[in-house]
Amino acid sequence: MTVWRYLADDGAGAAEGLALDEALMAAHGRNAEPAPPVLRLYTYADHAALCGRFQHLEAEIDIDACERTGTTFNRRPTGGGAIVMGSGQLGVAVTTAAHVDESPKAALLRFSEGITAGLAKLGIEATFGGKNDLKVGDRTIAGLGLYLDGDGGVLFHASVLADLDVRFMLDVLDIPAAKLGDRAVAAVESRVTTITREMGESWNGPLLREAVAFGFTDALGIELQASEPTGEEAAIAGALVRDKYATNDWLYARTPQADATATSLLKTPAGLVRLYVALQGDTIKSALFTGDFNDIPDPIAAFEDELKWSRLGRGAVEAAGARAFRDGTGLEVDAEVIVEMVLSAGERAQRRETVAAPARDGSCYFPDQEVSA
Amino acid sequence: MTDQTVSGFAVRTDLAYDLDNHMWVDVRESGHARIGMDALGLETSGTLAQLAFSTDDEFVRGEPFGTLEAEKFVGPLIAPLSGRTVAVNGAVSADPGLVERDPYGAGWFVEIEPTNLDEELPFLIRDEADILERFERKVRQYRIEGVLAE
Repeated sequence: MTVWRYLADDGAGAAEGLALDEALMAAHGRNAEPAPPVLRLYTYADHAALCGRFQHLEAEIDIDACERTGTTFNRRPTGGGAIVMGSGQLGVAVTTAAHVDESPKAALLRFSEGITAGLAKLGIEATFGGKNDLKVGDRTIAGLGLYLDGDGGVLFHASVLADLDVRFMLDVLDIPAAKLGDRAVAAVESRVTTITREMGESWNGPLLREAVAFGFTDALGIELQASEPTGEEAAIAGALVRDKYATNDWLYARTPQADATATSLLKTPAGLVRLYVALQGDTIKSALFTGDFNDIPDPIAAFEDELKWSRLGRGAVEAAGARAFRDGTGLEVDAEVIVEMVLSAGERAQRRETVAAPARDGSCYFPDQEVSA
Repeated sequence: MTDQTVSGFAVRTDLAYDLDNHMWVDVRESGHARIGMDALGLETSGTLAQLAFSTDDEFVRGEPFGTLEAEKFVGPLIAPLSGRTVAVNGAVSADPGLVERDPYGAGWFVEIEPTNLDEELPFLIRDEADILERFERKVRQYRIEGVLAE
């Protein structure tokens, strides 16, 4: 049976937590001696706000709110949207050597099975869904990411929601839709779930650790051996904090594809519906519908998932609609109307985007509402 | 005919390939080599959202010459040949979707002046039958992994 090193720690700062993950990759470079994979299950100190590798940090994270609340912030090496980490969320990091015969997508699926199995041990049935999420029904319970370095190392990242203070998240992630007050909280809560919610009792990251560790042994057929960072790994992590994660070059990096957002409004028999769409170039990074409904209609939730990472083009958006709206839209309007709503908002967002600079305030969950139909 | 399809994926058999990293190489009459990503690699990566190329002038075979953010991962673009940068295709940085629309044409990444072509070219797959057979094998592998639909 393959033996993996197993690290468990709590209270990481944003830069320190990310730096140690990257330091653990160093042992898996193609010129390094073969080393066992590492599973690290850890929590951040309350709290850390982390944006994705190619996001504009100032556009995703409210730095003033972070300073006011003592929240550290940083940029992950993995992609995806901004998240909040703390004692309520279990961070999962797997580091290993890349296998030539395994695609990144296959690796992402394989490592996610460890988390799925851990949740199953608690009686929670999660499945890989959306684009890079684990879902319980339609609600996200974990976000996943994969980073391959240039030296042959792999880092799998996940944030598992043992619990989530949605109001706090709305405060520190730069989410103008927080102006919607309780509706913003409800909109997030209708799209995510937590162990606390599923189990009906209070949970946190450290409490969840044992189940997820079991899940990895069960699903991947491995044995975990308790370990600590080596002196060399700790030294590499320290250097990475100093030379990378604490530098403005990393924190405020600019990327080729500009961010842009816009909104559309639609009056339907079911009430007023507002769409927030966030683009990076012509890639839809998120689409979120809010409106006069208590629970997001299932077809609309499916459409949001389908749109994420789609191109903003009529063909791609119509195809997403066709997959999501097989049984209607749930809003008493035709699919074509909702498709046009997305295209309209997206095209306006593209007209407003600027190159390599934040063009908005917003986040992957609730882009800014600067344009209305 | 150099434009072919393998299990639905476009393949140009007049190019050389590093299939482990899904990179193609087009050694042109000028002696320069254009480099891009093959259609199968694009499919398994998912939508390309970002492409950023190194500002270094020198490429080393097996080392990163840029970074991509795709739907499924953030990772390096691995150079299939060593060389000096001649041109970078700014059009794909501005519009990564161009790579998906025309992976072997307008979607090229960089052009280099190879510095070790004679020694490194043999590591790439160039024979037509070999290219088609290796692509077919990769498709089978990805289907077994569940990353490509049947």
